Amino acid sequence: MARLADISLIQAADMVRTGEVTSLELLHACWANLDAVNPRVNAVIWEEREQAEAAARAADDAVRDKQPVGPLHGVPMAHKDMYYQAGKLSTCGSALRKDFRPTTTATVIERLSAAGAYTFAGLNMAEFAQNPTGHNKTFGDCHNPWNLPYVTGGSSSGSGASVAARFNYMALGSDTGGSIRLPASACGVTGLKPTQTRVSRYGVMPLSFSHDNVGPLARTARDCARVLGVIAGHDPLDPTSAREPVGQYEKAMDGDLRGQRIGVPTNVFFDGADEPIVAAMEAALAVLEGRGATVTRIGLPLMDAVAAYGGIVSRVEAAPIHAEWMRSDPQAYGAHISARMYPGYAIPAAYYVEALSRRGPVLKAFAAEVFSRVDVLVTPTIRTCLPTLAETDIDHGPPGTEHKFMALSANTRPFNYLSLPAISVPCGFDPNGCPIGLQIAGRPFGEGRILKVAGAYQSDTRWHWERPPVLNASE
Amino acid sequence: MGAFETSVEATIARWFGIKPPNKPAKRLAADLAATVAAFEALRGTILFEDEPSSFEAALQATKEPG
Repeated sequence: MARLADISLIQAADMVRTGEVTSLELLHACWANLDAVNPRVNAVIWEEREQAEAAARAADDAVRDKQPVGPLHGVPMAHKDMYYQAGKLSTCGSALRKDFRPTTTATVIERLSAAGAYTFAGLNMAEFAQNPTGHNKTFGDCHNPWNLPYVTGGSSSGSGASVAARFNYMALGSDTGGSIRLPASACGVTGLKPTQTRVSRYGVMPLSFSHDNVGPLARTARDCARVLGVIAGHDPLDPTSAREPVGQYEKAMDGDLRGQRIGVPTNVFFDGADEPIVAAMEAALAVLEGRGATVTRIGLPLMDAVAAYGGIVSRVEAAPIHAEWMRSDPQAYGAHISARMYPGYAIPAAYYVEALSRRGPVLKAFAAEVFSRVDVLVTPTIRTCLPTLAETDIDHGPPGTEHKFMALSANTRPFNYLSLPAISVPCGFDPNGCPIGLQIAGRPFGEGRILKVAGAYQSDTRWHWERPPVLNASE
Repeated sequence: MGAFETSVEATIARWFGIKPPNKPAKRLAADLAATVAAFEALRGTILFEDEPSSFEAALQATKEPG
């Protein structure tokens, strides 16, 4: 039964639709893994089993009655615990919101439900989506299913770990500086950060309204394509969401990379990179070339500006959201959370406005120079072998721990300021048995192209199907 | 504690009524000196655009060809 949880989201949806399997069987397969492994991984922090079983039975009744069904019909899901569902718990990973029950429902949850999916749990996450590791003072640290002392990546720690540990076919994460791509990379799953404004953020806990993105973590790029097709598109409740047409993402994934120009940065993204990461990257590039793509080494312009400007936007935008709690109850936060927010209160408004006002010119200049030469950029998602939770524990570690902590997201943050879509796919393992991720980034609204490249890569590789050892130990 | 760190903490206390919550917060506040240096290094390198919707316009101008 538990192996039924190994299949992809698309396989699960298709099997329910054709009656090959019931939604209830999928749910119970996920729970078998959850019951066996979650005590060690700590990806799930609350559950609603009775409601989920009722939703599964209703989905199965619809199939039996030959009613029209959506593209995600009968697929059980659980999401990062910051997607509001009216009346349901949404802790945002914090003691400050441990009993919070919003009165609204996120548009993305409404759209997933309309497509036939249902939720059964809330997933662990960094407090208020603010760390790249998976540490959590209130609900306990999330542990990497591949090697338990190691970080899961964050902030969507439970999303990455739950999909890797086969509790879940897809989990929403959020990405402000890498928080979808980092746990996808660290946990060996596929994670897509769409273009800024591609997906509605209504009903989603805010961190930085200029950099926040909503996206899926799942087994395959094709799974992410299906989910993006469901959740993308303008939302009147989020006026910042784009009116760009939603692409036919799955249809474009034909595996043919002839004519695709891949750029590999020669600056920044490999600075201090560990050898196993570089080797995995080179092997991945050979796979892409085998599919017909050409590879060009390219120096990226304006990276100092991207780092300087991007580095302050999130800190400044998070500051007012948390000011009241930072005054009244600062010790309710993990030390690394409050410590990182604190400097945001001292950054001059003129710096912040400068950073935002130059975002457009920087994007235009970057795109003109880069995307005239290549179609997508390929980099490691994380340029070093994964550290342990202990090595990145700012709350209890020595001075300097914060630098190791922040280094994790060095390759993901630039694409948030630039607003570009980017996906992380598994491409190997480091010497500690922890997954390595390949990041593919494209032009604004170029999700179709990066999914096509990622899908082609996954056609020739098996990394995304590998099972973490923690599952084998439980059988 | 140096003059820069003292002024940062005083600014935050004066404008927001927030004290450093822990030692890492003090260290990271001191790191703002690097932010200032990074901005200094960029002066004069990128033209300012006073069009308020320049980011949205740039998304459209640079998007994937249809």
